[in-house]
Amino acid sequence: MQATTRKTALPPRVRHTVGITVRTILAVLVTVIMVFPLYWLLATSLKTEAEVMSSTITFWPKVPQWVNFAYVVNKVPFFRYMLNTAVVTALQMTSELLLGVLAAYAFSKGKFHGKHFFFIVVLGAMMIPIQVTFIPLYIVIARVGLMNTYWGVWIAGCVSSYAIFLLRQAFMTVDDSYLEAARVDGMGKLGVLFRIMVPMCKPTMITVGLTSFMGGWNNYFWPKVIVKVQNMYVLTVGVQRLRTSYGGEITNNYHQIMAGVLLSIIPVFIVFALFQKHMLSGFTKAAMK
Amino acid sequence: MFLKKKTRTMVINGREVHLRPEKFYWSDFFMALPAVLILILITYYPVAELIRISFTDWRLTSREYDYVGWKNWIWLFTAKTSLRYLTNSLRVTFIYTIGNILIDLGIGLLLAHLFNHLTKPYSFMRALIFMPRYIAMSSCGIIFLWMLNTDYGVINKMLEWVGVKNHINWLGDDNLALVSILMLTGWHGVGYCMMIYLSALLGISRDYYEASSLDGATGLQQFRYITLPLLSPTTLFLFITTFISSMKVYQSVDVMTGGGPRQKTEVMVYYIYRLAFDDNRLDRASVVALLFFVVLLVITASTLRITNKNVHYEA
Repeated sequence: MQATTRKTALPPRVRHTVGITVRTILAVLVTVIMVFPLYWLLATSLKTEAEVMSSTITFWPKVPQWVNFAYVVNKVPFFRYMLNTAVVTALQMTSELLLGVLAAYAFSKGKFHGKHFFFIVVLGAMMIPIQVTFIPLYIVIARVGLMNTYWGVWIAGCVSSYAIFLLRQAFMTVDDSYLEAARVDGMGKLGVLFRIMVPMCKPTMITVGLTSFMGGWNNYFWPKVIVKVQNMYVLTVGVQRLRTSYGGEITNNYHQIMAGVLLSIIPVFIVFALFQKHMLSGFTKAAMK
Repeated sequence: MFLKKKTRTMVINGREVHLRPEKFYWSDFFMALPAVLILILITYYPVAELIRISFTDWRLTSREYDYVGWKNWIWLFTAKTSLRYLTNSLRVTFIYTIGNILIDLGIGLLLAHLFNHLTKPYSFMRALIFMPRYIAMSSCGIIFLWMLNTDYGVINKMLEWVGVKNHINWLGDDNLALVSILMLTGWHGVGYCMMIYLSALLGISRDYYEASSLDGATGLQQFRYITLPLLSPTTLFLFITTFISSMKVYQSVDVMTGGGPRQKTEVMVYYIYRLAFDDNRLDRASVVALLFFVVLLVITASTLRITNKNVHYEA
């Protein structure tokens, strides 16, 4: 009843325009709210201490304080953190992709007894998160003397069953005739895998690579457990320590902390900007499987 | 027997053709082996170790330990302190999980409808909303810690505009601490749910809507009787993944509240971590970790069962 009266009150075209306007305003509003924390991160990182501690809101600093970034870099071994994170992430990406591709080939095109069983073993590992297994892993790593090393951080994430699963799904779509043709031309198994299957499944490779990069760069739990020396901190852990950089007391030097946080996530922004399309499409694709 | 060669025959064009026997390629086997072995070493073996440690009196500080039988298990289910902390952490974890699912899926679905518009500006806005997911939760935690700061935080200052003169102690309040964490994780995860829902929405044929509007269905009825049922596989997928990842929550709690105030935000993983590395009780931590593992398994298994029963797969 109400709907019909409204219909007669306004011609459809006006109703349409009103609808679009309301929707756009709402959408922009939501976006502003969602982006605000990141904007606030940037704004705070450029403020003076007085602006941070003032009782009114300073939306943008009067004079951007680039010195905050210099302070963070000098106060803590920031570039060392970044190097540690980069090394661990690179190790993790390499092993996840390499071992993932090999295993995915075996599980999709390979022929051996127990293939099904081993694949169940791989999938089952997804049900056992690091939050369950970290105590025994910690003990083992401490025993073999890998505490505070890249290898110690790397080992817990060096194979991803999720990566194997996604790559297997992709490899299964490759038609056998391509492989047979290549074999007839005298290509070896590894050649077929790396010269034909991997290039044919490039989108999935990129998705898996990106997931792996994000997982490595943003990893927090395991590095926190295994690294106790400041020089070996990864960024996520090191940035937390900025909060206690004045003699262990938790402080409100948020302009400096925010500068540190911002520096630590710049690489993620770059990757996001470069691969945005792949990320959005890749992740929805992964979800549908 | 393992490598027995069977000759298979097949009839092609009326002629009997001998096919090569089913082969066992060692090369294929060895390609799968490294990944499988490492996975067994870093996931299955530690679970077995957990069971073993749960029967010892292993402290973090000592290398020696004795087997003490069921002592830790008895401690877990009978000791007063253990029961209080355990039920508390279970309760906090479940409240957090339910809250997180409601926020992520509910708001995610709303946003998916709002941003269901295939133009350039909208796709830009979608990317912005999606972005937080790629920033480390620990970094996001610090940003929220600062925004929720009692004296200088921007949120309390903005609340002053609408008349809330007393600054709210977000992270120190028994009830608001968990709300603060939910705000953080909601902000972090809602964009992902939106994108997944959106791609599912785009997969629903327009015909359903046209046909139903010819029959006089209102927008709400269409949502209730067409959109929601057809989205149920997606909802279920998001429900399961969000459920499991919420159960494992640690980073946001560690950064924002450290389990406080008065254990009001002490989730399961945090409790395990505290037992192991603050109380140095590896044995007790193992018992709780095993219990946590069983809870996770039961949830996964039961949700998978529900999947097969109640979901409409046609779209």
